[in-house]
Amino acid sequence: MRNQRKKTGESRFEGTGVCHGVAIGRAFLVDDPRGRIVRLFLPAEQLEAEIFRFRQAVLIAQQQVQGAIERLQAALGADRAYILEAHLLLLQDRDIGQQIETFIRDNHANAEWAVRDVTATLLTLYAKITDDYLRERGSDIADVSHRLIKILSGSKIYDLNEMASGSIIVADDLLPSVTADLDPQRVLGFVTNAGGWASHTSIMARSLNLPAVVGAGDIASMVRSGETMIIDGATGTVILRPSPETLRFYTDQRERLRQQQRFDIEERELPAVTRDGVEIRLRANIELIEEIDLFQRFNAAGVGLYRSEFLYSNAANGLPTEEEQYEAYRFVAEMSGREGAVVRTFDLGGDKLHLEGYQPERNPALGLRAIRLSLAAPSIFRTQIRAILRAALHPDGHARLKILLPFVSNLDEVRTARAIIEDVARELRAEGTPHASGVPVGIMIEVPAAVILAEPLARESEFLSLGTNDLTQAMLAVDRGNQNVDQIFDPLHPAVLRAINAVAEVARHLGIPLNVCGEMASNPAQVVLLLGMGLTDLSMTPSAIPAIRRLVRSLSLDEARQLASQVLSLTTPREVHQYLAARLAGTGR
Amino acid sequence: MRQETVLITNRLGLHARAAARLVRLAGQFQSRIMLSRPDIDRQPADAQSIFGVLLLAAAQGTEIRIEVDGADEEEALAAIVRLIMDKFGED
Repeated sequence: MRNQRKKTGESRFEGTGVCHGVAIGRAFLVDDPRGRIVRLFLPAEQLEAEIFRFRQAVLIAQQQVQGAIERLQAALGADRAYILEAHLLLLQDRDIGQQIETFIRDNHANAEWAVRDVTATLLTLYAKITDDYLRERGSDIADVSHRLIKILSGSKIYDLNEMASGSIIVADDLLPSVTADLDPQRVLGFVTNAGGWASHTSIMARSLNLPAVVGAGDIASMVRSGETMIIDGATGTVILRPSPETLRFYTDQRERLRQQQRFDIEERELPAVTRDGVEIRLRANIELIEEIDLFQRFNAAGVGLYRSEFLYSNAANGLPTEEEQYEAYRFVAEMSGREGAVVRTFDLGGDKLHLEGYQPERNPALGLRAIRLSLAAPSIFRTQIRAILRAALHPDGHARLKILLPFVSNLDEVRTARAIIEDVARELRAEGTPHASGVPVGIMIEVPAAVILAEPLARESEFLSLGTNDLTQAMLAVDRGNQNVDQIFDPLHPAVLRAINAVAEVARHLGIPLNVCGEMASNPAQVVLLLGMGLTDLSMTPSAIPAIRRLVRSLSLDEARQLASQVLSLTTPREVHQYLAARLAGTGR
Repeated sequence: MRQETVLITNRLGLHARAAARLVRLAGQFQSRIMLSRPDIDRQPADAQSIFGVLLLAAAQGTEIRIEVDGADEEEALAAIVRLIMDKFGED
């Protein structure tokens, strides 16, 4: 059984650091991605009470199953209740009960964790059964385990911020929506077994400025709740049970970083201008309204990307109403100052809306999502456009919002969307509802087809925006969340760089604005290349702005251009990495 | 101690329903009743534990060795053998 190792010495693990900062604190284990099953380390005097709580839960479960058996027998006759009788026998099984109680004692565990761990072990044994029919019955065990955990945790939902206050969360994985709810004032940071630098959970950590390490292997089974640990979000190092020397080193490191952050804030008023006098627009990517304060703290030049679908994940019942959307967009428009904000229309998948005739998708990344979904469900799209056009109206008469269409793969989509937008504007005018006119419409370039067709697309839009994450994923046909291949995910792949350069040339030729809003815009070495390719409008997670501002101020655009033209002549990812490492070494970039 | 080896002949083998019957029946006796499969090397299962019985994963055509030890071992063994030979009242 797991978790019975009793190590005392310091041990180190390497994962992927996703947000700079050092956190030192006690580990707090969370046992499922939704944060519902937590692992507590209980004091010895509470263990008997915990075992009592477990036994009570078993009794309640037995009563529930007994009740269900009686109902079934009354309704369908004695024969039908046999499956549930097996559940009842599982609940009465002394062996299993004793294993769970032993687990609670040995691990100082809470009952939910013990039930889950012991039944998981039983299920692994069961999975080895070769007879298909018998193996399938493992679901009875899973079923009983769920019933017990549900009874134990009751209807109460753990408030992670409350329980993990002053601690570092350790989990196999965390859902982006759970991460989004973490309060950086209370939770010190988190580390997960799964995930990569560009996964949504990581993006969320960066936007909260919360130190985090992901992809740390089997960390969740190596640490116990309450143990002291350190995470370094810059290097991806995780240290369990640190020695006094290590602790001293990282305490100093943490202090240095805090000073650096204060320094970042002092520098916020300095213009983002290169040594040869070119102004670079550093904008903020925003997912949550609450991030607006980060955006102001780092003095971003407006919002380059507002991911409106997060309104959907936060809405109580499904889609946000026109008024809810209007309030959110108006707030974003007001807070982003004279540079305004770009609202990307919902980048949702079809599984989120209960569309008629929708078939479950094996590969949702290539499925009915984003603009495709908006056009397949025009009433949802119209509602969103109404809210944006109304919110875009500023008292000075100018539009403070722009509309960005995600995942465009052909010009017909753009024309259909624009026709709907014009029709919605006519409708608002006819009603006499105040709204902005001339709201610019832009296209997200993130599908290879859109790179090839950049010119015709650009001729029918007011601006373009390069989404480098999805573009890299699609250009290289690699799933960045898949640990087997995520090392192939590389925005510095020559094909990706040449694609970006081609789009930059189109924009320059036609004189239309082009913005970069992928993670590339927050990576210093990659920013040098982007600038060298003529991209002077970058949108990034707000906490990356100070470092990028400093980089811009230290750099001459002319040098960046030379570097980019050299790099564009290279033909393999390794050559690009080696060349950049050699050229940028020692410059602190 | 008494023992006997019987063949599982019902179509679905020792599945949840059959196992439940067997565990209920075993629970009526004071003797300790252990089940094992001569064809695999694993610890015998307690016939009074549903999980142990399920884990035997005895499909149709598997031989089961029954070992009974205790005051009512004779009746217990006879009852268990009868249940299995009767195909757990199924088929």
